[in-house]
Amino acid sequence: MAGSALKRLMAEYKQLTMNPPEGIIAGPVNEENFFEWEALIMGPEGTCFEGGVFPARLTFPPDYPLSPPKMKFTCELFHPNIYPDGRVCISILHAPGDDPMGYETSAERWSPVQSVEKILLSVVSMLAEPNDESAANVDAAKTWREDRKKFNEVAERTVRKTLGL
Amino acid sequence: MPVVLLERIPLPSLKTYTGFCVALLASALFYAHRFVTSFETDLVTNVQLFSTESEPGITNSSLPYDSYAWNMLFVMTTEAWCVWTLVNTAYCCLILLGKLIQKLVFGDLRVSEQQHLKDKFWNFLFYKFIFIFGVMNVQTMEEVVMWVAWFTILGFFHLLTQLSKDRFEYLSFSPSTPRFVHVKLLSLLMAILLSCCGLMSLCVYIGLQAGITIFAFMAAECMLLALRAFYVAVRYAIHLIDMNLEGIWENRSIYVYFTELTFELAVLSVDFAHHLHMLLWGNIFLSMASLVICMQLRYLFYEFQRRIKRHKNYRRVVKNMEARFPMATQEEIKKNSDDCAICWEKMESARKLPCGHLFHNSCLRSWLEQDTSCPTCRTTLSDRPAEDSARNVPDGHGGDADVNLQQQNNPNAQTTNHFFHFDGSRYVSWFPSFSVEVTHTQLLPRTRQSVQQTSQLDNMARQVLQVFPHMPLNLVLDDLRETRSVEFTIENILEGRLQAPLPGSLLSRNGLLVEESDEETPQVTSLITGAAAMSASSSPAELHQNFADDNQTELRRDDGPAQFSSRFSKSAIERETMLQERKNSMLEQARRRYLTNQSASGSSNIDTTAAGSETVPSSETWQQFTNDPDSSSNDTQTSSSEYLRYCRELAFQAAQRRIHEQRNA
Repeated sequence: MAGSALKRLMAEYKQLTMNPPEGIIAGPVNEENFFEWEALIMGPEGTCFEGGVFPARLTFPPDYPLSPPKMKFTCELFHPNIYPDGRVCISILHAPGDDPMGYETSAERWSPVQSVEKILLSVVSMLAEPNDESAANVDAAKTWREDRKKFNEVAERTVRKTLGL
Repeated sequence: MPVVLLERIPLPSLKTYTGFCVALLASALFYAHRFVTSFETDLVTNVQLFSTESEPGITNSSLPYDSYAWNMLFVMTTEAWCVWTLVNTAYCCLILLGKLIQKLVFGDLRVSEQQHLKDKFWNFLFYKFIFIFGVMNVQTMEEVVMWVAWFTILGFFHLLTQLSKDRFEYLSFSPSTPRFVHVKLLSLLMAILLSCCGLMSLCVYIGLQAGITIFAFMAAECMLLALRAFYVAVRYAIHLIDMNLEGIWENRSIYVYFTELTFELAVLSVDFAHHLHMLLWGNIFLSMASLVICMQLRYLFYEFQRRIKRHKNYRRVVKNMEARFPMATQEEIKKNSDDCAICWEKMESARKLPCGHLFHNSCLRSWLEQDTSCPTCRTTLSDRPAEDSARNVPDGHGGDADVNLQQQNNPNAQTTNHFFHFDGSRYVSWFPSFSVEVTHTQLLPRTRQSVQQTSQLDNMARQVLQVFPHMPLNLVLDDLRETRSVEFTIENILEGRLQAPLPGSLLSRNGLLVEESDEETPQVTSLITGAAAMSASSSPAELHQNFADDNQTELRRDDGPAQFSSRFSKSAIERETMLQERKNSMLEQARRRYLTNQSASGSSNIDTTAAGSETVPSSETWQQFTNDPDSSSNDTQTSSSEYLRYCRELAFQAAQRRIHEQRNA
């Protein structure tokens, strides 16, 4: 299986390198293993995450376009849709079969026509607009809903941390 | 597990062990040397040595070296502790050989490889121990030594095979493996296969002397090893051919699938027969050993069953696909002029789905094995509408083979149900009612399904109606059937995709509620509304897809240096360094921008307050807007106001998102 996955990942890598979407860089951590990527995502402008550069790991399964990759932020990120350990909880990363939160329609879940680029773009929009309905980090969701100022402060701190300042 | 316990045993490092072995061997040699020389000088009459030494003892001066070596060998093989030293040395040599092969072929082992190796080793040890003492019930030391020697060699090759399998899987993750790595690994596999032939002939030789049972035991082990090694080699060959082939190899996945199937089944059946043989032949019938073997048999049987089931599913998917989705004509492929959306490779032949999307035959098949919707537009593909209901072969759904088989075998399966809500509560009672899936399969008897459908939908419809009391219920229900989520229906309403018809229908709302729940959902209406709703819900996805595709082709066209495009190098190292550079520059830029923003302090504060003041009035106006229709109709006042507020919030969020998107666009 890995053969076709490899070809597809190569194609995606090529596309992401030739025409990178703004604020997104992604590629394999090490060319020896093409199934482990690192992505850098710029915090979207006009949000509390503006200016930050957030590193994340993408781990692809051997049957890649058929099953979704796993995504995990390697920096600390206080966000309603990101688990405290960094795993990202968005519907596009869920296989059509499973439904951890119990209310996503299959239409918004993983399909082979999705790509790394689309995943990362959805993550950017997730950063911009947290969905506190399906909170992966309940604390963050609560803070986001009730104490926006504090949420922004935490985000600001994270931004500074990721920049190494 | 025995593995856990055994791992705690402190094993000496290879260096100390080798040193120990060398010392032991040296002392044994020294002992033999002393023995021989002292014998020669003193002419001690040893009963055993006398006969051999008496004659050459005279001609000692003429052939001293030869006789000395023979004497040494004789002493070494007769004295008990010397024999053990020799055996120990042989093991040490074997370990060193293994280490050498590992250094030459594999280099450093990865953590997972080490773990696999360790597991495999202890597992092997455990089962062979059971075999030697539980099944064969060997009594004499000689026999034990022989069996141990046999299993040592076998285990050695097993571990090497496991290692090459792991390494092959790892190498298949990398696009740029040097050629000599492949050559080394393949030659190792060939060597293992050749040794298997050697071991097989040994089996025959021993079998001729020791009888058919012993031969069967040994041959089974040998065959298992050969099959495993051969499987890795075949997979490897397929992989290499695929990697070196330009363009797409359409039938690759079929070859891979069938090699996997044959080898797995072959290994399982040989293993099963081997264990059965052990159980039946075992000297002691009721023992721990037979229990362990029974457990193993059970496991093998289930594995076999599982594999067969999977294959049945595969066959069904293929058959279904071939029957229902025709191959696209050349014109269609040309007109489409796009790559396969699953593998991103060019399409020379393709299958066409009813929704008009084209995919490679093999890509589509592997997707259909786990899901039954079009990957692009998510149209359900599980069944053909009414006219073909006679041969109803539902597709696999969510990879759940069990359910599929049940479904297929169920003769009572009713035909033509257009809206069937498959919900999670069938599996777990507390599953939320939202998780309904529209498929065209007939999983449940109709009565049960319609009850679930209406009760859940009614609930959701009520929630929607609390926010939009002016919407007619049947419209909301239809939309809910598609979206299966309150939030999305609300969004649809906000977007104007779902519009309230003339106010006259508002009156009949409560009546409809009752009517709907009793209704058997007539086919024609459901078909029409379904189609309408389907097109409504799928259009944005399609649009997005088209947009993305346009984008792709457009981007691909301009190969020249665009504004922020960079080069995609052919060499892996260059790619890596370029990626690193890009990452660094991004971080650097972000840092600089952040610092400049910081120095122009307060600007960001103003920004956020501006944004806040912008959104707050809009929320108020929105609430006013939603209040208007609410005050006009009083029948929803019974519900709790808190819940109402929650739903409003939902609606508000959706609206805000919309505004934001529009602004972005």
